[in-house]
Parts: sequence; C-alpha cells; structure tokens
Amino acid sequence: MTNRRDFLHGAAAGLLGAATVSRVGAASLPEAAIQTSPTMQPPLQPTSGRPYNPVVTLNGWTLPWRMKNGWKEFHLVAEPVVREIAPGMKANLWGYNGQSPGPTIECVEGDKVRIFVTNKLPEHTTVHWHGILLPNGMDGVGGLNQPQIKPGKTFVYEFEMTKSGTFMYHPHADEMTQMAMGMMGFLVVHPKNPAFMRVDRDYVFLINAYDIDPGSYTPRVNTMTDFNLWTWNSRAFPGIDTLVARTNERVRIRIGNLTMTNHPIHLHGVDFEVTCTDGGWVPKSARWPEVTTDVAVGQMRAIEFVANRPGDWAFHCHKSHHTMNAMGHDVPNMIGVDHRGIVEKIQKLVPDYMVMGERGMADMGEMEMPLPDNTLPMMTGMGQFGPIEMGGMFTTFKVRDNQKTGDYKDPGPYQYPKGTVAYEWTGELAEPTRAPAPAADEKTVTVIKPNGHSGH
Amino acid sequence: MMPLHFKRLGLAGALLMVLAACASSNPAGSIDAVSQLTQAQTGMPLRLVSDAEGQAARQAAVRELLAKPVDAAAAVKLAMLNNRSVQISLAGLGVAQAELAQAGRIENPTFSFARVRSGDEVEYERAFKIDLLGVLFIPWRQGMASQQLDRAKLQAASDITRLALDTRKAWVNAVATRQSEQYLADVNEAAEASAMLAKRMLEAGNFSRLAYTREQAYYADASAQLARARQASVVAREALTRLLGLSGQEAAALVLPERLPDLPVAPKPFAGSVQAAVSLRHDLQMARFELDALARSLGLSRATRLVNALEVSYLRSDSNEGHRARGYELELQIPLFDWGDAKVARAEAIYLGAVNKAADIGIRAESELRSSYHGYRTHYDLARHYRDQVVPLRKAIAEENVLRYNGMLIGVFELLADAREQVGSVNAYLAALKAFWEADADLEMAITAGSPPAAGSMELAASPTPAAAGH
Repeated sequence: MTNRRDFLHGAAAGLLGAATVSRVGAASLPEAAIQTSPTMQPPLQPTSGRPYNPVVTLNGWTLPWRMKNGWKEFHLVAEPVVREIAPGMKANLWGYNGQSPGPTIECVEGDKVRIFVTNKLPEHTTVHWHGILLPNGMDGVGGLNQPQIKPGKTFVYEFEMTKSGTFMYHPHADEMTQMAMGMMGFLVVHPKNPAFMRVDRDYVFLINAYDIDPGSYTPRVNTMTDFNLWTWNSRAFPGIDTLVARTNERVRIRIGNLTMTNHPIHLHGVDFEVTCTDGGWVPKSARWPEVTTDVAVGQMRAIEFVANRPGDWAFHCHKSHHTMNAMGHDVPNMIGVDHRGIVEKIQKLVPDYMVMGERGMADMGEMEMPLPDNTLPMMTGMGQFGPIEMGGMFTTFKVRDNQKTGDYKDPGPYQYPKGTVAYEWTGELAEPTRAPAPAADEKTVTVIKPNGHSGH
Repeated sequence: MMPLHFKRLGLAGALLMVLAACASSNPAGSIDAVSQLTQAQTGMPLRLVSDAEGQAARQAAVRELLAKPVDAAAAVKLAMLNNRSVQISLAGLGVAQAELAQAGRIENPTFSFARVRSGDEVEYERAFKIDLLGVLFIPWRQGMASQQLDRAKLQAASDITRLALDTRKAWVNAVATRQSEQYLADVNEAAEASAMLAKRMLEAGNFSRLAYTREQAYYADASAQLARARQASVVAREALTRLLGLSGQEAAALVLPERLPDLPVAPKPFAGSVQAAVSLRHDLQMARFELDALARSLGLSRATRLVNALEVSYLRSDSNEGHRARGYELELQIPLFDWGDAKVARAEAIYLGAVNKAADIGIRAESELRSSYHGYRTHYDLARHYRDQVVPLRKAIAEENVLRYNGMLIGVFELLADAREQVGSVNAYLAALKAFWEADADLEMAITAGSPPAAGSMELAASPTPAAAGH
C-alpha cells in the first residue's frame, strides 16, 4: 500500500490531479484505478460508450471503465483504506479502490456492464447492487445468491442496466461489519437520452455514520445507535466539500442513506422536489415541494431545484446532533450552575480544568482546547461573521452569479450586497413588557442545606 | 588464710601491683567499643550521661536537632541521645566494667595484732594476712569478667542497634502516614468539590436527587477515611515521639519532613549484605566469641583455629528469562576432631553444646538474611513499579481525561472521579515506598543486631484508595 501510494504521489503530478493509475497487469482485467485525494474530483466525461451528463461525487470520484466487445468493464478492489474524515482526523476504514466510500460507478440505461470485484480484505465479501433490476444470481447476497468472494479472489458480475436512476452498491457478506467499516459506493444509471431529466449540476453522496472512540482510528463495528461521527461520503464538517452552482442553474443532489437511522436532509434558500428514488424517477404529478426531505434507512432520494438565490446556503441533516462531531452523551448539563468557590478546588487536583457549559455550549465553537489525538471538536468551523458551531453532516451550498459553468471550485465567502445582512439595532430600546415567569416552588427545586461533612 | 611475716611483704606487694595494674573501673573504653559497633546505624558516638554537664550537653544537642525538620538520621540521633534505654545499656557496661576491675583486685589484706598475757609473760602477735589463693585465681577471675564484659558490649550494641533501626522504622511510618493523610485530604477535597457542585446542580434543577445523593455519599465516605488517616498519623507520630524520648515542648517541637526519601537509584546487592552480616551480626559474633573462649578455657587450642571460619560464598546465576537468581552459602565449619582422651569428655560435651548453638545461630542468620533481602528487594521493585509504571499510567489517564473533558466528551464529575483515582495511585506508591524503607531497616537488622521482626509477613501495597464507588 505504502509503496503504491508513494508511487502514486509521484505520478499524480503529471496526471492533472486525476490521481488514477493502473495497477493490474493482467491483460484480461480492466485496470483498477485508485484515488487517494479526499477532495471532489471533476466529473468524468465519457470518452467511450453512450454519451451522458456525468455526476459529481462529494469528496469523491467516478471509476474509469473500458469498453470490451460491447461490455462496459469496471474493476472494484475491496480493501482497507485510510480516510481523512476532516482535516485533523483520519479513520482506518474498509472501502474500494483507495477510498471509503468507493468510487461512483456511472453507466447508461441499456449498458451491458461487467464488474470485476477483487477482494483484498482479510475476510470474504460480496457486492450487492442496491435497486438494480438484474438476474437473481447477480444480486450479491452471500450464501443466498453466490458463494462469497474469499480474500485474494476476483469475482465477475455481469448484467444489463435496464433502467436509469439512482442506486448504490454495498457488501451483503458480514454486512454489518463491512458497512460499519465504510464499504459502500454510489451507482448512477444515466438515461439513454441525455436530454431526459437533464440538469446543469448533478451531485451525489452517501450518508454514513461511524463510531470512532475519541483518540482512536478504527470504527467500533458493533455500535447500534450511539454513533458519534455523522458523515457524508465518510467526511464530516468542516471536511465536506462545498456544493456550488451558477445562479439559475438547475441542480440535482442525489443522496443515499446507509446509516442505521433516518436523516431529514434540509437545504436552505430553495424549494426542491424529490425527482428520483432508488425505485426510479418520480412522475411530475407525484412530486411536491419541500425544503427538507427525510431519507430513510437504505433509501435514496434525488432532489432537484433551480438555484435562483445567490448566497451561502446551509445544507445539512436536520437532526441537530447529526451536525455535531463526537460528544459525550452523558455529560451533565451545567447551564445555570454557579461554579464560584468550586473551580479553585477542582484546579488544585486538575490544574488544567476550566469551567465549560455554565452558560451553554457556544464557547466550544470558539475555544481551541487541546483534544485527544485524532479527534474533531464537537462544534467547529469559522465563517465570515464568526464561529459556525457545526460538525458532522453540514456543508454549504454556494450560489454565485459569476460561477462558471462546469466550475466546481469553492468561490469563497459570499460578498453580501450592502444592507442585506441582519444588523444590530442601536436605537432606543424600551424594556418590553413580559408576562411573569412561573416561580419555582418546593416541587421544582429543593435546596439541600449543607450537611456538615466539612467538619472532618 | 596464710599469715605472712613482715619480712616477706615486699615480695608479695610487688606481685599484687603487677596483678592489679591492668583493670580499670572506668567504662569509657567499653562505651567507645560499643559506639564503634553501632556507629553505622546510629551515626554518632554514644555517651553515658552521668553529671549535670553531660545532661546540659545532651539537652543542647537535642534542641539543635529539633530546630530543623527531623530526617531519619536525625531521628536516630535523637533516640541515641534521649531514649533512656541507651543509658540503661551503657550503665550496664559500667557494671560489667566495674566487675572486671574488681576481679583484678586482691581482697584487702588483714592486719591483726594480738596481745596475749600468760601469767607475767605478755606475748604480742602481729600478723598481716592476704588471700594468696585468691591472688592465684586472679587471672582466671579476670578472664571470666573480661568475657562477661565482652558479652555485655555485644548485648549493648545489639540493643542499641535494634533501637536505632526501630526508630528509623517508626520515623518512616510517621512520615508516610502523615503524607498519606495529606493525600486523603486531597481526595476529600475533590469529593467536596463534587459534592458542592452536585448541590449547585440540584439547586439549578440540573441534577436529580439520586445523582446529587451519590456525590454526597461519596464525600461522606471520603471524610470518614480522612478521619481514620488522621488518627493513624497521630498514632505513628506518638510512637516515634516515645522512641525519641521526647516530652512536653520537645515533643511539640518535633517537625517531620513532608515526604519520605526517594527510592535509592539501585538496590543494595545481596552479596554485600551477606558479607556485612558475617562480620557485623552481633549474635554471630557472640557465638563465635563464646566458642573461642570456651575452647581456650578447655585447653582446646586446636579448636579455635578451626572454628574461626564463618565462610561466605555468593552464588549468582542469570536465567534466560532475565530473572536474576541470587543465593549464597554461609558456612559454619564445625570442628569435630578426635578428642583422644576420656579425661576431656566433659569438656567435649560442653563444647559440642556450644558448637551446636553456634550452628543454630548460623542457620537462623542465613535464613533471615535471605528472607530479609527478598523482602527488601521485593519492596524495592514494587515501589519502583508503582513509581515508574502505575503512577505515570494514572497520570497519563488523567491527562487524556482532561482532553476528553475539553472536548465535552466527559463531564466534570468523571474528571473528578478520575482525579481521585490518580491520587489513590500516588498513595499506593507511597505505601510501597514506606514498605521499602521498613524492609531496608529490617534487612539492616538482620545484618547487624540479629533477627528482624516476624520475617515473612510482607504487606503489599494496597490498591488505590478509596475505590470510586458509584462512578
């Protein structure tokens, strides 16, 4: 791995950023490109096969293919990878072709695809093609539809893409472990007619979640509900790429959920419609406007809208603890607790102790406190007006009048036209009349008198 | 009684002068000898205080020692100056010395004058009597008394060394219990902080009564433990005070250092201990000396040459597990030889008894040395383990927990519970260090004064206290 990567870094300079390289010498196998950069790669324009409008994978890339005798051939290598979750944190994951999630596979309705899957994991695996209508023996459920792919073995999946839409792939062998380790990938089947459902920008990403103990690198795979890293394409804020659009472009964002809970995905600044699920395209008459769409477990949703309002729009899961990084779920709430006379006592034993949470947790967003190794702050990120106080499944969708077509680069903070930002009132402020708050009584709060232990 | 006539007196007087010349009743020489035997443990010469001047000098020395925090050496000096049993031992030397002097003296000669009248005749009889037989026995009596004095010296040296080492242990115990008390005070303070915070949490409505009560209960327990530690600390200090012979203002003036001395860089080697024991251990010396004296008195000149050897060899082997096995042989050669003559059968019996007694002492000394050294070495290793492994690990855990607290991954109550455990590990190190210094004194006792107390009852350092119940 190390040698290969070193070679890659050397080679990448000459490859205009698309850090793909052949590593399979055998003539019968298509090359299995790998990608190690965690930043979003530009769309892979098709040079062979049927034409289509390629997608862009958040913090990811599309797997190159070759055409052979009318078959579109891909090569996936299941293997351990190291994924940067966000700057300052890396995870030991399993993935495909150098990354978790694996590369996006793009093909066209009617394509005959042949996918080679080489297993470089320490245990067996399979690949299930989620949502694809295919012969039963190609469905990839280990034991049920095929023998598992043993370590070191390569299997071949062959089927025809009978319909276009939004799909994904993931193992169906020791599935819980392998998905908790990050094994999954996006699969897009483009319509035969490139004009059908055409958009200007087509983003894709998978929702995943990990439980990585602060200070460690490898997910705990048996976690059922108490995940502490909520990620898109195995990245957490501030590591998730910014989505961009030129004003009035039509944008599609395809989202798949392979976590163990639902995610109400919310985009500011537009109304959108769900135009596609993993079952196929949604007829126009069946769509309704939303600003939040819930993506349930194992589901895929494609939302579409016209990006007609310039600015930096928040885009996130609406479960607020999913827009946080690792946090202690048992930490007591210190809001409103008077610390006078106690801090000194605690500092005598724990010199580095400082009070946190006495007024709320916003201090966390600003303070840069030393944390355990390989641990992202619970809330972080700086915006042009101050701390953004987010983590996890949060990024921004940036709409600009001057964003060039086909340019996916982050244009930087939005330059607000004068008078369009909320401002502080500096005029006279009369004390507003308020309703009286209910007084605390014996039942709400009981004060316990000191009981004299200090006499010892 | 053999009356002598005046004209013979000149000769007898000269003889007496010769016989009585060597023995003095002044014990200074014996005290010096005991001082030398005990110097290594006491660190100072011993003095019998017999007049006001000596008393004043002693008080001045005590005051001077009490002016600073009293370390282990100073504590031993204080005991030597102040503990009455030292003076009792030295006075005992005076008694033996006086007896030796007495043994060299002839009974006072008697002068008698008689006037006998028989009819008109008056007869005057003048006689000067001297116990000539007693004079002839003087060398033998002196020999006995001299042996007695030597025995008394060794006994005094043994008692004084024992006192010195007991004092050192009492000092270790007093300093350690005080230090432990301070650690428990820290634990108590952490518990108090938790309890105070829990009370404020309850008042603010952020804590349930259950969560609050748990913290209060922990604090209550910690306070009880602190009270016990304070009691132990007072008891240990008073035990030391007694050994130092301090009372009143002197007792109040006693200031002990804050901490026990650190662990020595390297432990003493076993061979050194054995070598030292062979030349120093008082009961071995006494046995050797008695055997020697007995042989001489029984005319067994050949025997002394053979019994002389308490030989030592040091065995050392390194195993492949890196464990170093140490052993040694302490060999008491017992001379059994052909006595030849039935006339000395009694002497043989007496001598054999003494030989076996000496052999028994040798065996005991050997085993006690092994056992004491093992205790010394185990406590050294344990203390080092606590210092180099357990405490740094706890410290690293505490540092990691602060980082987790910073990241709001754990709360302040967990942080405090952990701080208490860290203090507990330091306390456990302290207990191990205390056990080491006690074992050190016991080993020295096995090398010098004789049997150390109850070899084999090794107290291992306890687990961190108090357990973080309910956390």
